[in-house]
Amino acid sequence: MHRTAAFLSLASIAALGAVSACGTSTSGGSSSSGGGGLSGCHGTITVATDLPLTGGDSTDGPFPQLGAQLAVTQANSNHVLGGCTLNYVSKDDSSVAKNGHDPAQGAANITSLAADQSVVGVVGPFNSSVAEAEIPVASQNHLALISPSNTNPCLTTNQAVPASTCGITTSSLYPGPHTYFRVIGTDLTQGEILAYIAAKQLNMTKAYVFDDQEAYGAGLATIFKQHFASDGGTVVGSASLPGSTTDFSTQIANAQSSGAQVIFFGGTSGNGCGLVRRDEGKAGLTLPFLGGDGCQDQKFITDSNSGSNTSEAEGAEATSAPDATKLSSAQAFYSAYSTAYSSKSAPYNDGKNEPYTPFGYDAMNILIQAIKSVLLSNGGQPPSSTMTFRDDVVQALHSTNYSGAVGQTSFDSNGDTTNPFFTLYKVSSGNWTGVNAYQVDSSGNVSVKS
Amino acid sequence: MTPVEAHTEGNGAAPAAAGAPMLELRSIDVNYGRVRALRGVSLTVNEGEIVALIGSNGAGKTTTLRTISGLNRPSRGEVRLRGVPIHQLGAERIARMGVAHAPEGRRLFPRMTVRENLEMGAYARTDRAGVRESFERVFTLFPRLKERTSQLAGSLSGGEQQMVAIGRAYMSNPQILLLDEPSLGLAPILVDTIFEVIREINARGGTILLIEQNALLALKTASRGYVLETGNIALSGPAQDLLTSPDVQRAYLGM
Amino acid sequence: MTQESVGVGPTQPLGEAPAPSPRRERKAALLVAPEGLIARHRGSGVMARTAVPAFRTTYGFISHNFPAIIMIGILASVLGVLAQGGPTLMGNQMRNALVLGAIYALIAIGYTMVYGIIELINFAHGDVFTLSGFYAFLIADHFGINKLAASSGFGLLVALVVIFAVSMLLAGITGVLIERVAYRRLRDAPRLAPLITAIGVSFLIEGFMLAFFGPDNVTTHQASWINGNAFTLGAVAVRWTDLFVLGMALVLMFALGAFVTRTRLGKAMRSTAQDRQAALICGININRTIATTFFIGSALAAAGAIIYSINYGSLKWNLGFHVGIIAFTAAVLGGIGNIVGAGIGGFLIGMIYVFGGSLAGGAWSESLIFAILVLILTFRPVGLFGVDVASRS
Repeated sequence: MHRTAAFLSLASIAALGAVSACGTSTSGGSSSSGGGGLSGCHGTITVATDLPLTGGDSTDGPFPQLGAQLAVTQANSNHVLGGCTLNYVSKDDSSVAKNGHDPAQGAANITSLAADQSVVGVVGPFNSSVAEAEIPVASQNHLALISPSNTNPCLTTNQAVPASTCGITTSSLYPGPHTYFRVIGTDLTQGEILAYIAAKQLNMTKAYVFDDQEAYGAGLATIFKQHFASDGGTVVGSASLPGSTTDFSTQIANAQSSGAQVIFFGGTSGNGCGLVRRDEGKAGLTLPFLGGDGCQDQKFITDSNSGSNTSEAEGAEATSAPDATKLSSAQAFYSAYSTAYSSKSAPYNDGKNEPYTPFGYDAMNILIQAIKSVLLSNGGQPPSSTMTFRDDVVQALHSTNYSGAVGQTSFDSNGDTTNPFFTLYKVSSGNWTGVNAYQVDSSGNVSVKS
Repeated sequence: MTPVEAHTEGNGAAPAAAGAPMLELRSIDVNYGRVRALRGVSLTVNEGEIVALIGSNGAGKTTTLRTISGLNRPSRGEVRLRGVPIHQLGAERIARMGVAHAPEGRRLFPRMTVRENLEMGAYARTDRAGVRESFERVFTLFPRLKERTSQLAGSLSGGEQQMVAIGRAYMSNPQILLLDEPSLGLAPILVDTIFEVIREINARGGTILLIEQNALLALKTASRGYVLETGNIALSGPAQDLLTSPDVQRAYLGM
Repeated sequence: MTQESVGVGPTQPLGEAPAPSPRRERKAALLVAPEGLIARHRGSGVMARTAVPAFRTTYGFISHNFPAIIMIGILASVLGVLAQGGPTLMGNQMRNALVLGAIYALIAIGYTMVYGIIELINFAHGDVFTLSGFYAFLIADHFGINKLAASSGFGLLVALVVIFAVSMLLAGITGVLIERVAYRRLRDAPRLAPLITAIGVSFLIEGFMLAFFGPDNVTTHQASWINGNAFTLGAVAVRWTDLFVLGMALVLMFALGAFVTRTRLGKAMRSTAQDRQAALICGININRTIATTFFIGSALAAAGAIIYSINYGSLKWNLGFHVGIIAFTAAVLGGIGNIVGAGIGGFLIGMIYVFGGSLAGGAWSESLIFAILVLILTFRPVGLFGVDVASRS
């Protein structure tokens, strides 16, 4: 009883506050309409993230999540939306069953976010397989989805690479502009760069290619094979193995027998990237090892070194998100991150421990900027209809031109960033160390980005 | 045959009462679900006796033996071995107290050798010399088994299997031997062999409770008999009297 | 080790009176027991005779020659690998297959022993495997065993003895506890109840390991215990680890064989497996015998886990599910309930996994294993070395 009474009194105070806020905003609104500001805006607008936060992905997803959360916190304290406030919701697309990202969980998350009328945009997901399940749901609900890290090309272009991995059909999308965007280059770029590195930088002509049977891994492997062949190399063998595989000796023996000079793994370290390197060492093989961003994490090093050779990871190479730690544009972000999350336990207290951290931050800022431009063009107030609001946000995102922590970002009509580039990392003294950044120009030429 | 000390390792069980019968059932009821298999069955087996339990199929003969050896639990009544109540004990404990059961269908361990089957009969015994002696006795009683010691029990003929079943029960050096249909499915000549051995065991002082469909043979071998009809003891008395009883003659001896 | 097996199929009740539970039991047995499957295939055979005689003949032929067909298949794939990459590739894959097979064999024995004695597919067995690997990891890391193993040849020997003894003991106790807590009360319940309980125990152990050791591969530091190549055959390098894995597995399997055929307790286990009630009336302590079975099965799984750890160097909370289900297939291949069969089945599955994977691409390795499981259950549910059902009395 006592508690109920206390709650009621609190509620009435809040109601009073709301009434007074209303009174001021009416007068403020008329004054701001001339100046174009948002001080008269009132209400709460919800933005969300959907990223894998637990299980096998607990060393990946939380970083872009914290980055995105920081963007919301900063926007609110700087009153970017004037009188309106941003409400932030974090969803976890991991499931216990999958011990990490789960497409079914992701789709369920988007369904529940879309049902919330205050939600106008989502940053996420982290994994391409999850995106495949989420994009139709988000599209049907006109909800903008901005991924900090999805690299599978078919998510935006619906170009099947390979065909079987492209699970999105146009008919499952609502007939409007794409609601899905990403602030990172695709595997088309990444695979092309990796093939370039294998053929032109390492000067290898024979490759053995692994993939983990997932959309990301199989897609990356396919693109690598295509470009490696066109760069003059030969794929001497390939193996597509499920993520539960714990022993790769059979395939390593095949690779050895086929005279491979370089081992390529398309997939994530949760799905065995490091274990392939471990079994390579066990077989006494010392071939260069090349992977995509899914391999570029601490787990790869731990797994590689778990075999009889405890420094097997040394020298392995993987492309990953641009090493933003060296970008001058990102310095302000990293220091803000460290300040905001100084109380977090390692490694989460430092945004530099995961390459996608600033991408989560930029993706959220891009979403907030789009919301802001919608509010401005709507007389400083949120559109009354949720669907209109969401459509307007998507529209605004298509004309993004945002200068953020990772550089200048804009989107093409497919929702892809016009500024794709990746950094090559190499394991040295037990750590991934950035080597060079590579970019692909519009005519498909790879070059080292200085 | 002398009971071995190890058999009366009573764990809290009352000491054997002097002068009590070897085995005594007092108003035993046994139910299978809602079906009543035994109703108020009482019987007594004295030391050194062969007692025959006869009756038609489904009368409850096997259930009676199973209840004695602890495989079924009575819902009412008592089973006493030398005056010690045993009906609350588990089958394994009862076996260790000296009740040996050669069950219906023989129930050998088919993928173990004859020797191993016999060894299992003496599982609870710790007196090595005694076990060796029992082996010799079994091989004396059933010379055929001696030739087949390393053969798998499942590959033996029916008669040989019955020999192993009785031999296995005998290996425990029991206080009382419960035999369930030892003649079932055997050629007449083998039936004779088996019953000769039963008499031989008895002649050496063994106490036996015998179930038989072949009532004539059973009553000729036994000193006393009980007639079981649908879970009740219908008749009891000296075997000779039962053999001459008109009721028994009509119902079980086909006369 | 003699051609010996620990029982197959449900024991028949002794009773003459209509007992309701045995009938229910038999119906439930259709789900799991080979007899049930045999009954079913006999049934379909009868149907086939009236409908498609040709099918029946083919079925009978495959069923009768199943072991030969499997062996020919394996031989063909070995030769295929020889054609694919010459003797070096074949040698390398043979080494891989034997190492993998040794681990599967040790786990399969645990499945088969428990099935033999209580007709339960102990789904928790694979997780006991992982858990005991973690026991070994904790012991080695916290009691300086790793340093001891690295110090000298003698140190390594002592380390191995300690780690095997202690982990196997702890795993055995775990197995006994699981039986005592989860399975014993359900021993006479319909077959489905303990089966589902076993799945529950499996989840429980996995959840515990996930909470305690985290979701990622855990480096056990044991892969560096044994290093270097023992010898090279042509271009095939045989590592000391390979010899250790194979040798250890064989020694343990022969020790188990001696145990079940020579010792009193081992014989009690076999007799209990063949006829539990007959064992009871022989004065055999059934509870203790079943507990012993769980102890030994789990201890062997622990040995398998240490061997796994020494070979691979890492463990993961859900490893047991994956490895366990393959080992279970090995047990079925060898004839579930048959200890020797499980040992050989483990090695055969290792061969199928590696050579099939080498030829058809790794993506097919597991499909191949489960296709074989389906084939066994269809054509020869008693497995390659299953006991002759007719010989049962």
